[in-house]
Amino acid sequence: MSSKDTKLASMRRAFGEALFALALKNPNLYVVDADLYPSLYLTDFKARFRSRFIQVGVAENNAAAIAAGLSATGKTVFLTSFACFSPAINWATIRQSICYNHHPVKIVGSHAGLMSADLGASHQMLEDVALMRTLPNMEVFAPIDASELKMMLPVIAYSQTPAYLRLVRPDTPLVNSARSFTIGKSRFLKRGDKITVLGYGPILTQLLLPDFDKFSLDIINCSSIKPLDDKTILTSIKKTGRCLVIEDHQQNGGLGEAVAKLILTSGQKCKFIHLGVNNAFGQSAHNYFDLYHHYALSPLAIRESLKKLLSTHAHS
Amino acid sequence: MALFSAPKTHPLHSKARSLRLDILEMINHAGFGHIGSAFSSVDILISLYNSKLFNFKKDRFVLSAGHLCASLYAVLADTGYFDKEELFTFAQFNSRLQGHATIDTPGINYSAGSLGQGLSYSIGLALGDPKHHVVCLSSDGEHNEGQVWEAIMAANKFHLGNLISIVDYNGCQIGGTTQEIMPLDELAGKYLRFGWTVTTVDGHNFYELARVLKKSKDSSIYPACIIVKTVLGKGVSFMENNCQYHDIKKLAPDLFITAKNELQRY
Repeated sequence: MSSKDTKLASMRRAFGEALFALALKNPNLYVVDADLYPSLYLTDFKARFRSRFIQVGVAENNAAAIAAGLSATGKTVFLTSFACFSPAINWATIRQSICYNHHPVKIVGSHAGLMSADLGASHQMLEDVALMRTLPNMEVFAPIDASELKMMLPVIAYSQTPAYLRLVRPDTPLVNSARSFTIGKSRFLKRGDKITVLGYGPILTQLLLPDFDKFSLDIINCSSIKPLDDKTILTSIKKTGRCLVIEDHQQNGGLGEAVAKLILTSGQKCKFIHLGVNNAFGQSAHNYFDLYHHYALSPLAIRESLKKLLSTHAHS
Repeated sequence: MALFSAPKTHPLHSKARSLRLDILEMINHAGFGHIGSAFSSVDILISLYNSKLFNFKKDRFVLSAGHLCASLYAVLADTGYFDKEELFTFAQFNSRLQGHATIDTPGINYSAGSLGQGLSYSIGLALGDPKHHVVCLSSDGEHNEGQVWEAIMAANKFHLGNLISIVDYNGCQIGGTTQEIMPLDELAGKYLRFGWTVTTVDGHNFYELARVLKKSKDSSIYPACIIVKTVLGKGVSFMENNCQYHDIKKLAPDLFITAKNELQRY
């Protein structure tokens, strides 16, 4: 997305491979799957670790509470499905059996966002981050690419907190150059001093287009959505006085709201634009670029927003 | 089998009386509580916790129907998990005895309240620790929840011989009888067709309860279901089978005295 020679890679494949590698080292690592393991590249896991692969069928509530029970016996448990089913269908089970009972189950929701273009609105989960970040004890992560996911997975696996991990369907640009991942820490993708850009997931890679170099962007990858790296974000905003948040998610309940609250609470003055889906469902399209264009999340909309942010001085 | 006979000859019968009195005092003091199902379930819990069949330091008990916690609190206090005086903190601010069962209470393994999740949770426990038994108590009304049927299906798939699902079948739920709200019809037959071994038992007869618990524990290949036929509000005539006593606030003083007098003679 950022340029023609950018390499693409599948976040889902990276997940399947990284989990397989973790399971080789950890005999207590289990998968509870709601019949979507091929889509999460867990076919090898299933074949190799038969007794640690619990197939519960298309029953996401059952899956979530079984995962919680397994976790209570000391297992490291990954609950795998699509985001539109888990954590959507089973939110109340996650709330009670996982969060309220303090079981560090790792909920993996794939196919999130408009990126699941042809599948249509039912599958284009745009509310998962909102659902998960409101839950006490729950941490929320969304890698920007396959490379970051591989850094992230072992860290999340051994954290003693329930976590939600948001994955996307298509192959997406490899842009991560970080060698490690820390919960609650964000990463700069680019340094600048005019506008702070915040986001998570592959949609943020659009900001790396050469066209945007002239805007002097401070681009921060907020892959740790909760806990959020308040300090890095506020330090950048203090410098720029302008903030653009972009996410492949509803504006309601998303990262933008978390950041807006952070800024208002800090007392800093800041011009603020939030790009996300505005109280609407998605729809089918041949590719997600068309959807990003329709829902004002494309490079065109980004350019307009950046111009608008620069049009008057933040502190005037 | 004489249903609902509550034979007074059994050594546990005096507990059935004294713990019912504890439950009445506890709920009336709190001005809140699900008294009907506390009285219907208390004999099941007395049987479980006074049986040598299970060691609940290793075997696990899961209360799925978190609202009937008052009976579990009374039994846990009686078993020595905490002092009986603590029962009077039930549903108060800062209490370890919350309005619905939680892991804050010594002896409780699962925080519940939202119905339908406990049997699935128990499956996770049974899969993760196959050497020990998991006993799950749910309510009949709880079987309205689709998730319970997901769990019933899955327990059979995983051949969980170490799982026992006890259903407190008192025939009442919050808005009326189970027959009226959502008929369960022949629940035993449904479990049976889902691959479980099923036994139906009089839930206020300690002799029968002990026999069936032993039989169910010995079911080594199949998950075992015990449909426990109980009486909502058992022990207090005006509460018995009266769905209005699913849950109560403070009882009127004369009703409280009547209830107490009846339970003293139980």
